[in-house]
Amino acid sequence: MLAPSLLLLTLFVLVPLCVVAAYSFALRDSYGAVLPGFTLDNYRDLFQAAYLQVFVNSFKLAASTTAICLLIGYPVAYFIAFKAGRAAPALLLLLLIPFWINFLIRISAWVVLLGRGGLINQGAIGLGLIDVPVGMLGTYGATLVGMVYAFLPLTVFPIYAALTPIDPRLREAGADLGAGPAETFLRVTLPLSLPGVFAAALFVFVPSMGVFAIPVLLGGGKEIILGNLIVQLFLEFRNIPQGAAVSVLLLLISGVGILLYMRALRRVEAMK
Amino acid sequence: MTKPKILLAASALALIIGGPAMAEDLRIFGWANEMPDQVIADFEKETGITVTFDTFDSNESMIAKLDAGATGYDLVNPSQYAVQILISRGTIAELDHAKIDTYDNIGPSFKQVSYDPGNKYSIPYVWGTTGLAYNKSCVDEPITSWKALFDEKYKGRIYMLDNMLAAYIAGLQVNGFSANTSDPAEVEKATETLIAQKPLLAGYNSTNFADLVSSGEACIVESWSSSVLQAIKDNPDVVYVLPEEGGTMWIDGYSILSDAPNPDAAYKFLTYILRPEVAAKTTELSQTATVVPASKALLPGDLANNSAVFPDEATIANADFILDLGDAMKFYQDGWTKVKAAQ
Amino acid sequence: MSGQQAHRAGPGWFTRVFAHGLSGWVTLITYIFMLAPIVVLIAFAFNAGRSTVVWTGFSLDWFEVVWNNRHIARALQVSLIVAVASAAISTATGALAAVAITRRQFLGRDALGAALAAPLVLPEIVLGVALLVFMSFMGVTLGYGTMIIGHVLVSLPFSTLIVRAAASSLDLQLENAAADLGANEWQTFRMVTLPQLMPAIFTAFILSATLSFDNLVMSTFTSGVGTTTLPLRIYSMLKLGITPEINALGTLLVVANVAILFLVMGRYLPLMLKTSRR
Repeated sequence: MLAPSLLLLTLFVLVPLCVVAAYSFALRDSYGAVLPGFTLDNYRDLFQAAYLQVFVNSFKLAASTTAICLLIGYPVAYFIAFKAGRAAPALLLLLLIPFWINFLIRISAWVVLLGRGGLINQGAIGLGLIDVPVGMLGTYGATLVGMVYAFLPLTVFPIYAALTPIDPRLREAGADLGAGPAETFLRVTLPLSLPGVFAAALFVFVPSMGVFAIPVLLGGGKEIILGNLIVQLFLEFRNIPQGAAVSVLLLLISGVGILLYMRALRRVEAMK
Repeated sequence: MTKPKILLAASALALIIGGPAMAEDLRIFGWANEMPDQVIADFEKETGITVTFDTFDSNESMIAKLDAGATGYDLVNPSQYAVQILISRGTIAELDHAKIDTYDNIGPSFKQVSYDPGNKYSIPYVWGTTGLAYNKSCVDEPITSWKALFDEKYKGRIYMLDNMLAAYIAGLQVNGFSANTSDPAEVEKATETLIAQKPLLAGYNSTNFADLVSSGEACIVESWSSSVLQAIKDNPDVVYVLPEEGGTMWIDGYSILSDAPNPDAAYKFLTYILRPEVAAKTTELSQTATVVPASKALLPGDLANNSAVFPDEATIANADFILDLGDAMKFYQDGWTKVKAAQ
Repeated sequence: MSGQQAHRAGPGWFTRVFAHGLSGWVTLITYIFMLAPIVVLIAFAFNAGRSTVVWTGFSLDWFEVVWNNRHIARALQVSLIVAVASAAISTATGALAAVAITRRQFLGRDALGAALAAPLVLPEIVLGVALLVFMSFMGVTLGYGTMIIGHVLVSLPFSTLIVRAAASSLDLQLENAAADLGANEWQTFRMVTLPQLMPAIFTAFILSATLSFDNLVMSTFTSGVGTTTLPLRIYSMLKLGITPEINALGTLLVVANVAILFLVMGRYLPLMLKTSRR
């Protein structure tokens, strides 16, 4: 049962990652070709003020995106799992429709909506809320809207997947024993759905640090995050060793995240 | 459920093993939107060769891809400084001009380009400039200088190209330096200028900036000439200018890869696109000038006289020409990292 | 009794606001937020002019433009092949691993769990670069093979975690009963575990195919000659500006997607309903 996944992971993740790790200690020539050798300079450079600012930006954006996505995603998943009844599959599929349109088309739809001539400004002017169009593109808020739009479905699915198998009899039992809906939710539903919540947080937090198109197209590329930095180092500067060092650091940060996830998951599984 | 899955996995494996396409194919790796589809379709019809045209969005990402080797393209479409890099890597092959019947159609000035004298490794094809575009409806005077990009008046309505070398063109020239400098002190000064400019910007953008200036979202944008000409055609309020400090000129050409599977088809393609009527069609459909002077007579008058497409000699002479900066590239990269991270 | 009444007075607002009201309202607003941009996008696919903001009249011209764009047809074909192949591999591999991790005790179980999620914690771009470097080192020609592998890496953590979350909340009694009745591990998996996991596996497959179809970054690095996917093609189209051609393409994608889903749902809807009613 494990052979296919082990093979895939070893051959196409582990080995290539070792290559990246090795590159992070390598030298390069001015044309970007990697030279054999050993240096710690690529890591020392990460402590430049410029890079530290990028780390702060990334953490801030990832944390706020995750928080918003969970706060919205949980009630939606809850509704679909327990209240929607026969509409549940349709609601899930509706949530996927934006995905099938293509990421770039979705983001460009927001570029149009948030523009000075876009529907939001037109509508606000029409309602008399504002007199002149407000510039929303190129702001942090625009980036955040794009991030939530991109990641929200990824929070709903794992939470839904964890909520549905919860035996209704357990929830009924809670009610029969005199627990109110709040207590049933807090003591039965929420704990049982926690694996899904943790998975959702993981799905959002980590990839959101590696995103680059949204901060550029909606945020004007002014507050860049790790994803932008890596694109810049690999594709614009062709500085593979430096890019590899940033990647290794991001791997370590994320490793901490995944360890926290694993520990939390085990604690929940042990509770049962 | 598992059985169809196994079948699918097997068919995927078959695809993995199944090799590249047939011999009478031509595989081109080119800039997005510079080569009109119609030109390629006509070429296919005339020669019976099937063309696969994949695109890239920066010289740097194209080089990164080719560096990885084993890509199997016949033709690649680098800009001037990228030609120098590809030559130094041995990625592109020396050309046999005898196999390009139409080689003499190239204008004399494009035969002696500094980055590849005598076109040994690359056939120049389209060229343009880097300058600025503005929307007449939201500026009160004609813009003629890079200084407008640093003007408090337009705060929040300015976009710079999201491209290191392009941004430094404005940063260097507004300080009176050459856009092709390798002096660390000059690059440093330009870096400070660009950091000071950042609070004025709506953003950095090298994707949909033409749309942004056309819709009035932005008033002034740094721009490549070829990218904004479609917007100008649709919206007369949009103006493209080469700033008085000079701006830059760029040339995108075609080179045959050292490991090209089908160099013969590549030569046929080069011969085809240098025909005056084909070059004229390229200019008409992509709003970009080609290196074939004879094609200009075949263009509609308004296009042939469009100074944004065909700047005059004096303007071109005033423009800088960005070449490979070699080791000095590091000064730019360190500076650009600071600019992008600045608050 | 009155004590219990008082006790319930607190949760009373909760019942109204959260359990019945809030989740419904949040869901409604969320769906407006998710779908309104799509509705606007589709509306302007029918615009006569070149603008995606100012309505100038009804026209189907942009659909004709898309239809005649030979690059789009080719890119769509590439994207479909890659999406189906990578989702199938990813779901099969991920489901097997997820069940093994939640059901078996073995050395390195946690390590494998972490490793399966690893592609999540690496920015895709790093995986893409690493894969590219590795493939070129091995002398593999870039193309469908490299791209499908790349997309499997992107979707594998999702398919594993989804199935895992479902598997860890399954009732173990049925499986234990099957084992007591003499079923071996594989039989238990096929006859007992798998059917219960079908909704999760189906979700994982759809999500994997969706992620692949939408993928830009991994494709950028792993694409080779003639394997320009739809997102790669759209990226180069965007440079020409956001025109209704993009909207028309988006509209066609929605229509095609809805059509496919109806076909799929015909088969899976009863299955999903059965589990949600359980």
